[in-house]
Amino acid sequence: MKKFFAKNGPGYFFLIPWFIGFFCLALGPILYSLYLSFTKYNIFKPPKWIGLENYEFMFLYDDRFWKSLEVTFSYVFMSVPGKLIFALAVAMLLDKGMRAIGFYRALFYLPSILGGSIAVAILWKQLFEYNGVINSLLAKIGIEGPYWLNDPNYSLYTLVMLGMWQFGSPMLIFIAGLRAIPRELYEAAEIDAASKWKQFYAITIPLLAPVIFFNLVLQMIDAFKTFSSAFIISGGAGAPLDSLNFITVYLYNEAFAFYRMGYASSLAWVLMLIIAIFTGVAFFSSRYWVHYENERD
Amino acid sequence: MTKIDRRKFMKAAAATTGAVAAASTMGSKAFAADSTVRHFWWGNPSRDKRTFGVIEVFNKKHPEIEVIGETLSFPDYFAKLTTQVAGGNMPDVIQQGYGVLFEYVDNGALKALDEYVGKSLDLSKIDKSALAAGTVNGKLYAVSIGANSHMALYNTRLYDEAGIKFDPFGWTYDDVKTIGVEISKAAGDGVFGTDDNTANYQNFSDFVGQKGVVMFNPESGDYQVTTDIVEEYWSMWTAIREAGATPPGKASAGLIKPPMAEWGIVTGQTATSYAWSNQLVGAQGLVKDKLGAAMYPNTPAMVPGSIVQPSQFICLTRDTDDAVAATTYMSAFVNDTDMTAILGLERGIPANPDVRAALAPNLSEAEAASVAFFSGIQGKTATLPPPPPSGANEIEQTFERIATGILLGQDSIPEAAANFIRQAGFIRRRAG
Repeated sequence: MKKFFAKNGPGYFFLIPWFIGFFCLALGPILYSLYLSFTKYNIFKPPKWIGLENYEFMFLYDDRFWKSLEVTFSYVFMSVPGKLIFALAVAMLLDKGMRAIGFYRALFYLPSILGGSIAVAILWKQLFEYNGVINSLLAKIGIEGPYWLNDPNYSLYTLVMLGMWQFGSPMLIFIAGLRAIPRELYEAAEIDAASKWKQFYAITIPLLAPVIFFNLVLQMIDAFKTFSSAFIISGGAGAPLDSLNFITVYLYNEAFAFYRMGYASSLAWVLMLIIAIFTGVAFFSSRYWVHYENERD
Repeated sequence: MTKIDRRKFMKAAAATTGAVAAASTMGSKAFAADSTVRHFWWGNPSRDKRTFGVIEVFNKKHPEIEVIGETLSFPDYFAKLTTQVAGGNMPDVIQQGYGVLFEYVDNGALKALDEYVGKSLDLSKIDKSALAAGTVNGKLYAVSIGANSHMALYNTRLYDEAGIKFDPFGWTYDDVKTIGVEISKAAGDGVFGTDDNTANYQNFSDFVGQKGVVMFNPESGDYQVTTDIVEEYWSMWTAIREAGATPPGKASAGLIKPPMAEWGIVTGQTATSYAWSNQLVGAQGLVKDKLGAAMYPNTPAMVPGSIVQPSQFICLTRDTDDAVAATTYMSAFVNDTDMTAILGLERGIPANPDVRAALAPNLSEAEAASVAFFSGIQGKTATLPPPPPSGANEIEQTFERIATGILLGQDSIPEAAANFIRQAGFIRRRAG
């Protein structure tokens, strides 16, 4: 016990503000929503206990729920790897000494600050409109662009691109990780005439694995929770044809458009379980591909 | 969902401080006046400006009462109101529509007005039909602040240039097609005769009435529309689209219940859009060409499908602290001609004849057109059906979603129609 605190004490100390927020503000509503998920509750009348009915309906009869899972998973599986690869590529470019490096770093980080905002989602919507900027650029090289936002075959890609564009925070973390790799390793590899590609994959990737893992987990959780951009771009209803009906958008509408707070709460808990399972799987798999230098402490 | 990060925490903290600050200023104002009345409405910039103007006049005339206005856009309005219902802190006076009013009454969120009528609330001049529309189970819960009907808006310049002559109070869907095609030809590239109403539930509800069907059974609340009607409606609009009267289906698929700024008639993409009559004034403000007003199209049998209904009500909530002050304000809102002069016709045609008479000399061209429209539709509208049961809103959204598949050419009309009727029935069973 003593040893545990000697080692982890400072960490927990710095977590105190978070704990206060969690226990004083968040925990109550979270537990209440767990209770609500077993009830029928339309806000006006008190919640009525219905046991597992919400979950039963969700898994057995609700096609829109399954569709929303498909949309959410497709988004996570496309946007997270895309974003990480993009972030790493830019981080490696910026890791090379160059002039005005701070300026570029700030510049590339900018989308991440803007990205969550409603204004950018609206701007994005305009860019991808049929007569929008993207299609006029495509027209210049002789391609007739599709109806990006109206056609369910394309709509999700616009959101994936918006997600990838917000690569700033993983990029910063990658830069820090790259800085921590001892230069001697690369020098030794140069002397052994290892190619750049070989260096990347034999030195950079293994030594960066803990950072990649960290980014992966954070970005995955974030991607599962995507809401505001999907809400704006899909006109609030997950349109067209539910192709943007993320589980978050679906549960918002169930709660605030159709007053089914109980069912919405059960959707929220399923989303939480999904995130927990995926995070758990990531942690479990990390034993096989992530190595920490100070592992044997 | 479960995580509070620093940024969220700071936001929450800032919001709390802000609320406390706001509450304390409200407190000091309340000290000056004897009571405060919060009035919450959904609006648009023009309506907000007018309503705040009204509040200013009222506060000057009644120093003992301080009215505080709050406003949001339509979808946000109900999201916020819902949380206020749950929290027991609804404003004193809220705006309601015919569609959801009864859900609020049913669930005890509103206070009946009867005990204030003739005292703080003067309704002696208000039209009987308007009062009837706000009465539920024999009690008055809502005061109409304007009447409304479905209205097709057309661009008079494009219609004139194509040499179109038609009867705005008796045109058919076939007319919409022929006129639309002619305008698409005459107006040239990228401009079409009419918006595509395949996914427009407002037009669909008219069509159901035109077929002689009442949408919801007044007793059971069952959805009484048949697959045939849905199929006929979608086939009809598909024919109009395929004739070239509307923009391509894929373009219309992105315009499900668009905000006013994206209506075909406002962007200039089409010559005809379909709206509510009280929106004529707002839309005219965004369009250079003069807009004309017509009824929604009908079938050759000309069975009335459109209804005249209160566009909005003001209601007293169960959370009010001072019902007398609140009803005094409500009373002035519909009777005081200094206040109604500022509102104009923006919320629809007022239910008080004195107010209408006072407005008449100063109407703008668009306002005059909407008054003329109301005399034109006399005798051509259907009777007001009972208020829609719960689930109606969800059925509407389901209609729009399935209709999008028709616009995109992905689904066959008979299958989609059967699917819609099946889901509508299911939604009603689940809501009941």
